[in-house]
Amino acid sequence: MSLRSTTFLVLVCIGVAPAILRSQGLEYRMSIVDEGTLNALNKTTPINYDNCILPQPHRGNIGTSNLFLSVGGLSALLDLSTNTDNLRSPDYTYSFREFSFDYSLSDAVDITIGKKILKWGTGYAFNPTGVVEPQRSPSDPSDRLGQNEGSKIAEIDYFKGRSSLTFVYVNDARVDSWKWHWGVQEVAARAYTFLNGLDLSLVAHYREGDRLEVGTNGSYVLGSNLELHAEFLGKKGSSALYHNIITTDDDQQVFASYPYVPLYRYSNQIFYKFLLGGQFTFDNGLNIAVEYYRNTEGLTTMEWQRWMKFVKFQDGIQQGSVPVSPDLVAPSRFNLLWALQTLSPRGAMQDYCFGREYFAEDRWGIELIEFINAQDFSTVIIPTVSFKLSENFSTYARLALFTGRSDSEFGALFYQKTLNLGIQFQL
Amino acid sequence: MHSDIFELERNRMNQSCICALWISLVMLPTAGIQAQDTTAPLSADQILKLSDLSRNGWDSYGVRTTIENFEDGTMKDKGLFDVTIKGASKTLVKFLNADVKGQYLLMVDDDMWIYMPNTRKPIRITPLQRLMGNASNGDVARTRYAHDYAATLLKNEVLNGVPCYVLDLKAKSDGATYNRIEYWIAKETNRPKRAEIYLTSGKHYKSIDFDTYEEILGRPLLTQMTITDRLRSGRKTVMRYDSYAPGELPDKYFNKDYLEKLR
Repeated sequence: MSLRSTTFLVLVCIGVAPAILRSQGLEYRMSIVDEGTLNALNKTTPINYDNCILPQPHRGNIGTSNLFLSVGGLSALLDLSTNTDNLRSPDYTYSFREFSFDYSLSDAVDITIGKKILKWGTGYAFNPTGVVEPQRSPSDPSDRLGQNEGSKIAEIDYFKGRSSLTFVYVNDARVDSWKWHWGVQEVAARAYTFLNGLDLSLVAHYREGDRLEVGTNGSYVLGSNLELHAEFLGKKGSSALYHNIITTDDDQQVFASYPYVPLYRYSNQIFYKFLLGGQFTFDNGLNIAVEYYRNTEGLTTMEWQRWMKFVKFQDGIQQGSVPVSPDLVAPSRFNLLWALQTLSPRGAMQDYCFGREYFAEDRWGIELIEFINAQDFSTVIIPTVSFKLSENFSTYARLALFTGRSDSEFGALFYQKTLNLGIQFQL
Repeated sequence: MHSDIFELERNRMNQSCICALWISLVMLPTAGIQAQDTTAPLSADQILKLSDLSRNGWDSYGVRTTIENFEDGTMKDKGLFDVTIKGASKTLVKFLNADVKGQYLLMVDDDMWIYMPNTRKPIRITPLQRLMGNASNGDVARTRYAHDYAATLLKNEVLNGVPCYVLDLKAKSDGATYNRIEYWIAKETNRPKRAEIYLTSGKHYKSIDFDTYEEILGRPLLTQMTITDRLRSGRKTVMRYDSYAPGELPDKYFNKDYLEKLR
């Protein structure tokens, strides 16, 4: 977030100061995390030959502090971070992850304006109906370093009994050189009700230049131990960008210009995202959550293989094992960099499974996360052990293991394993 | 003073609402207690209803709850919560400890949600998921047993010199925290004395001793209870209640989607 953008939000909030004066009580919380990382690089990956295409650090450290303040309806979440690794000098950043004002017009109607993180889904790792939420990773669903940022919104909520209605207008507006710039506009609506034990929401979302998408989510508890949840979001066509290579069998190409296009923007094909999941709590407190996620905007197995063959071809050029004219080596390197845009923290393909086992005893917490590509069975396994030193201090060790063939999604990533050791202070 | 949530809403409550609230708070429990004076024998469900008055002084109120976990006599952990109860079926728990600050637990009828500030969304949970130590969410959020359990009189027994009814409680709502409870209630005061809790499998899960009652705003109310883990020996949880404050929040505070606004 730019300084001017921040200034704008501050001014907006100063404008509503009279209402704030009616507020009572200051709420605050603070979290400071220092996390060191050791990475074992993946030497067999075709996407980063000799760690030269997009150099990755072997070790790094991130220090981040998040300060949340709320007085009356005004809330701010300020993030200050420093990031350093063996390749770069320290990088200092700050941002208002959230800066919003909530006001109750009546016992039933609330309005919110400002920058705020909104999450609408019922899923744990995936949220297809989280149409206005920040992008996040299923391998870190709890956003341990507090990096998610809010959207600039104007929201109105109506509450009646066990139902609610929400309308949100999103615009990534900003002020540059003291000039106002409107961003892409989005509108979203959610109708929520609670019916015979079922949490049920209907969601609609429209983004300027895209198609209307509609969906639903729900959750249900069976007995004392089992919770089930599901989400669905569908639309005609897709504005997702796809690498041109997935449409052809001719993988031995070097593109001269940016190769991504919205292949299905004007298509009448239905694209959907679907999630089915549940969690079970055993009598001893062990909690197990599982989810299956299907995203038809992702790549099919054949499309992935075409993309991977193309990547391997570029990798061969970089290694010198594919003889080409020397003029093509540099463009090929750009092709590899472009190709990386196919990868996504939420997965580039269509079918995924997620599992999480969690058990806490006294000061210890043990968590195991599995994020599985159900098409090529490559997996990210993340065991985490945490220990509470006191109410304010805790420490954790988190290991991420990337397994799978070298041409599989997670087997081809930059790392074989990463180890994070962190200490957290909370107030 | 208890409950920041009440402070947020204090401006909203007009005089007439406060008067109406106080009339209902003063009159309703008194009407319940008067039932003791009749000579007709009470049914098990009536005894249970009367015993709930010692744990819930008002229809709607807030209470600061402290949970201390002990292992072999040593305190391992301590948690602070602001619990707000509205009527028989709505409970909002605000977590106050530094490591869980901003977290809320909402229970409405048989259903529970937890809101965590880092995930930013209410997650549906089951009553058995643990709040802290040996205390289940339901131990904090569900204090009106008459709403959740059907009672039958098992026997009369003297417990630590106090003549008691022993009730057999069987879950009658999905929101009940436990499947079966054996419940000792003092005959003279209708105050709960002890609860033995059993899992669906029949295993003896927990014992709860209702240790201390104190006069608060003219009502004798529970101020301390001890939960003993029967599956893992040496583990105990002490729950203390203080800063009882009668009051009522608007309904929207008990709507799942409002949790993200409480923060």
